[in-house]
Amino acid sequence: MFGYVVANMGKLTPEEKKLYRSCYCGLCKSLGTRHKAISRFTLTYDMTFLVLFLSSLYETDDKVKTERCLMRPLKKHEYWKNEITDYASDMNVVLAYYNFLDDWADDRKVLSLSAAKLFQHEFKLIYAQYPKKCDAVSKCLKELSDIEKSGELNPDIPANCFGRLMSEIFVLREDEYAKTLRSFGMQLGKFIYIMDACLDLKADIKKERYNPLTASSSENFSDILNLLMAECTEKYRLLPINQNKNLIENILYSGIWTRYEAEKNKKKEQYKR
Amino acid sequence: MISDPYKVLGVSPTATDEEITKSYRRLAKIYHPDLNQGNEDAAKKMSEINAAYEQIKSGNAYQSSSGGYSGQSSQGYGNSSSGEQGPYDFDPFGGFGSFWGFGSNGQGQQQRRENSEFDSVKSYMNAGYYKEALNALSYITDKTSEWYYLSAILNYNTGNKITALNHAKTAMQMEPDNPEYQLILNQIQNGSRIYQQQSQNFGMPVSNINTICFTICLARLCCLFCGQSY
Repeated sequence: MFGYVVANMGKLTPEEKKLYRSCYCGLCKSLGTRHKAISRFTLTYDMTFLVLFLSSLYETDDKVKTERCLMRPLKKHEYWKNEITDYASDMNVVLAYYNFLDDWADDRKVLSLSAAKLFQHEFKLIYAQYPKKCDAVSKCLKELSDIEKSGELNPDIPANCFGRLMSEIFVLREDEYAKTLRSFGMQLGKFIYIMDACLDLKADIKKERYNPLTASSSENFSDILNLLMAECTEKYRLLPINQNKNLIENILYSGIWTRYEAEKNKKKEQYKR
Repeated sequence: MISDPYKVLGVSPTATDEEITKSYRRLAKIYHPDLNQGNEDAAKKMSEINAAYEQIKSGNAYQSSSGGYSGQSSQGYGNSSSGEQGPYDFDPFGGFGSFWGFGSNGQGQQQRRENSEFDSVKSYMNAGYYKEALNALSYITDKTSEWYYLSAILNYNTGNKITALNHAKTAMQMEPDNPEYQLILNQIQNGSRIYQQQSQNFGMPVSNINTICFTICLARLCCLFCGQSY
């Protein structure tokens, strides 16, 4: 996971900021208590969005608590948790585990293998709980790795594959929302994958690595990304989300561009010099 | 079509997939437009390299599949290597009626062959068999603007939105005055316009990425220390 799905903090009300932060803290807390403390390092804002999104859809009963942490040791701060937080923290570990395994298989990084070993026990416990989900994720990642190795030039092919992975993660249970959540996750996953490819393109070309957008040039990127987000928000509108609507839309319509905009501004500054 | 794609990539026809990919990436490093801002020659060279790489890769795919289309690959070498202009200049629809109404009023031998080439694609498409239509389209090696137009429609309907957008743009570039092409490009980008409008209402993020990264790192660090699971 990449951490692209973040809020545009500048446009949030103080209450929304607090809610967003405490959602992140709740997920971090859940990772720490359900899994090893080290697993907190694998926490991403993408997963925070998953918690926020599904909690708002299902209007869950959130447990709000306060505690101190090193960030703000002097002041107690809030965090909230529910069953979805726990689900997201499990999925976070699954993705981190497969990611480390993949790094080991591709680059033979010893560090990755030892990291994977570190999570092996946790992974086994989670696997017992969600065997189907874990298998689906693993299958997508294997397929993605094969596509990338083959040097596929058509960006849709790996993006769709990553989209399928995300669509699995977004389906909490097979209910009336499952179908729409699946297609929402699919579109969001595609966007995340392509966004990552856009931002890495130059570095990948220089290092002669695979990038699904090698055959295109960056002047087309904003059209492509807008198209993918348009599809994604179209699916979002099909879901009856009433809670935290402004926060979620802030992420989908604005925050999700944070790193892209930052990169664009960096380029502009370089151009000026 | 490029007559000798291996030559463009600077590899021998017996080269392995790995060698071909390696050579492609080495050339991309030299000619990619993002590394050669404003250099049109480099951009042209890169699109030729892309086409050659694609041709070799898809050519391999053809050998493994037993399609009955083998005769077609020898046709249509008239296209320029940079793929800018199709050799045929005609309105494929003979009018602008229905959305994809395809009449083939044979107008000369060249066109009739061309039309019949697309016929199987269109009949699959009209029946809603988009994947089969795409497959049939992939055997047509002469990529005219109509080829890109059909590819855009089919890819859009099979969930390949990026390819759909790119190919609709290519069709437009090849034949800017064709209203059908304009229409399909508009349709593909219709959602984007609505999205962008709403995006503007929220305003684009201006915060510096470094501060965000820093906060994330800090947050993770602190989380690690305040963990209670040991």
